[in-house]
Amino acid sequence: MKYLPFVLKHLRRNWLRTLSTVLAMSLCIFLFCTLRTFVAAVTWNLQSASGTRLVMRHAVSLVFNLPISYEQRIAAVPGVRSVARSNWFGGSRRPNDYKDFFPNMAVEADTYLPMHPEYMLGEDQKKAFLEDLRGCVVGRKTADKFGWKLGDVFQLESFIPPYRIGKPFEFVIRGIFDTDPVRYPGTDTSFMFFHWKYLYESTGERVGVGTYVIEIADPAQAPAISRALDALFDNSDAQTKTETEAAFRASFVSMAGNLALLLNGIALAVMFTILLVTANTMSMAVRERRTEIAVLKTLGFPSSLVMGLILAESMFLGALGGGIGILLGYPMIKSLPEIPFIGDAVRGFPNLGLSPSIAAFGFGMAMALGLGAGLVPSILAYRSRITEMLRQV
Amino acid sequence: MAMVEIQKVRRVYHRDSQEITVLDGIDLQVPEGEFVALMGPSGSGKTTLLNLLAGIDRPTSGSIRVAGTDLGTLSESALARWRSNHVGFIFQFYNLIPVLTAAENVELPLLLSRLGRKERRQRAATALGVVGLSDRASHYPRQLSGGQEQRVAIARAIVADPKVIVADEPTGDLDARSAEEILRLMETLNREFHKTIVMVTHDPRASQRAHVQKHLDKGVLRDQA
Repeated sequence: MKYLPFVLKHLRRNWLRTLSTVLAMSLCIFLFCTLRTFVAAVTWNLQSASGTRLVMRHAVSLVFNLPISYEQRIAAVPGVRSVARSNWFGGSRRPNDYKDFFPNMAVEADTYLPMHPEYMLGEDQKKAFLEDLRGCVVGRKTADKFGWKLGDVFQLESFIPPYRIGKPFEFVIRGIFDTDPVRYPGTDTSFMFFHWKYLYESTGERVGVGTYVIEIADPAQAPAISRALDALFDNSDAQTKTETEAAFRASFVSMAGNLALLLNGIALAVMFTILLVTANTMSMAVRERRTEIAVLKTLGFPSSLVMGLILAESMFLGALGGGIGILLGYPMIKSLPEIPFIGDAVRGFPNLGLSPSIAAFGFGMAMALGLGAGLVPSILAYRSRITEMLRQV
Repeated sequence: MAMVEIQKVRRVYHRDSQEITVLDGIDLQVPEGEFVALMGPSGSGKTTLLNLLAGIDRPTSGSIRVAGTDLGTLSESALARWRSNHVGFIFQFYNLIPVLTAAENVELPLLLSRLGRKERRQRAATALGVVGLSDRASHYPRQLSGGQEQRVAIARAIVADPKVIVADEPTGDLDARSAEEILRLMETLNREFHKTIVMVTHDPRASQRAHVQKHLDKGVLRDQA
């Protein structure tokens, strides 16, 4: 600690250079944390995928629906416990306005609810929902966001052509679900679901089933059951693709290209750039102080201590930049959905916010960058001979 | 008892394929409490000899014993520790740390000791008092004159109470009046504080203040005629 004022005084020596390096480091750590937050948001709901649930969809594309008649045949396959129809509704409160968007689906409630224990709903609410065709269940996050309570009515309009019936769908909130984040991590409480039958009847009974959610008894049997199910419809017009819920969700992530790889790549490039900037700053700072390093060594400062002082200075730059970057990151990442253009792109991410683990990782990276940037100059200072440095003055 | 004993010291530098002998078989004994001036033309090896006896360079051959320690037996880290306890170094260009105040510059060698902050500051203040700069303690080097900077450097050299002070042309960058002040101060250190001083100088007037004058020429040491 007695050397801290010495380190700080050197950082103040060329304050403009120190400030610009710290700001560059802050920006870098902010970008890093933002990109990591996006990666986490994109992959977040993979955690909630259950091993006992399979998802069957049209083999060609999700755009095509499957026949309703498949349900009975699926249920008859050995190992299958229950089947639920589900269709992505893609509704928004105002047409083509996704500012307040939340995910919403039509589901076959009487089988869908029992196979999704993560949606924790009181029995009275469950009963009220099942008895009301226009009823729906919303997650706590969405209910809180709009100030909704049980019995409230709202409307959604889908962007999917077959579900556009010339007027919005009207829903009555019959349930608000919570979850247990410890038992069911990654559960999205911005989700809303309603009766598949309501969708079916409102569209003139012309729509099929987007996906079948299939509960199986034994997760170990998932590959065999998936193959058996797809084989069942091999010779039909609508061939199927059945996979685990985790694989199904992962395919959504990869639909946007390998987004995680891209974002991680950008983060790495940003980090490398700032490493060069900081290393340059430290090299200049040490080169300017060759005489001082020689004097310190002459006074009896061991080479290891001189090296340590330079590393401490460099890591302090990293810590300062990292700290500022993270402090700025918290409110800025939270406010990203409100920023024009950017907001439209990120609004759909559930739980968008800088997590403590990402913040800690970002700070660790800042410290590591500081260490990396100071390593070469400090080693050179360690190895330098007093007489040579004094002679070069 | 000799404070400095140098026996058959050679220092050879290699530049490309050339071998340059800077010191060639130097023998020197400096008794405790002595004030020695090392003179000689540029390139004669004065600074090299000073660096060797201050323990910041090592001889190619020969032995150097200072304050009872054979410097050749010490590792780099032990030599650094030895320097902090036994030698005070005064440079021609003062070499103060510009971001530190006069008091902080003087306190610098004490950071290596086990002294607490309060005691370190007290000792630095005392050393500044000895050189007559108590009122400049909070000034930065850029706010001091050349003579004052050199006095701060002297305070830094004596603050850890070393037995030996080595000075490399301490008046070389000063006007006549400041040089006189510095020489008087060094005399005081020698006379009243019993410091053994080895001073390199080009200036005959400065060398007259020393008890003994030694002359180096082409790497060979001679007593001043």
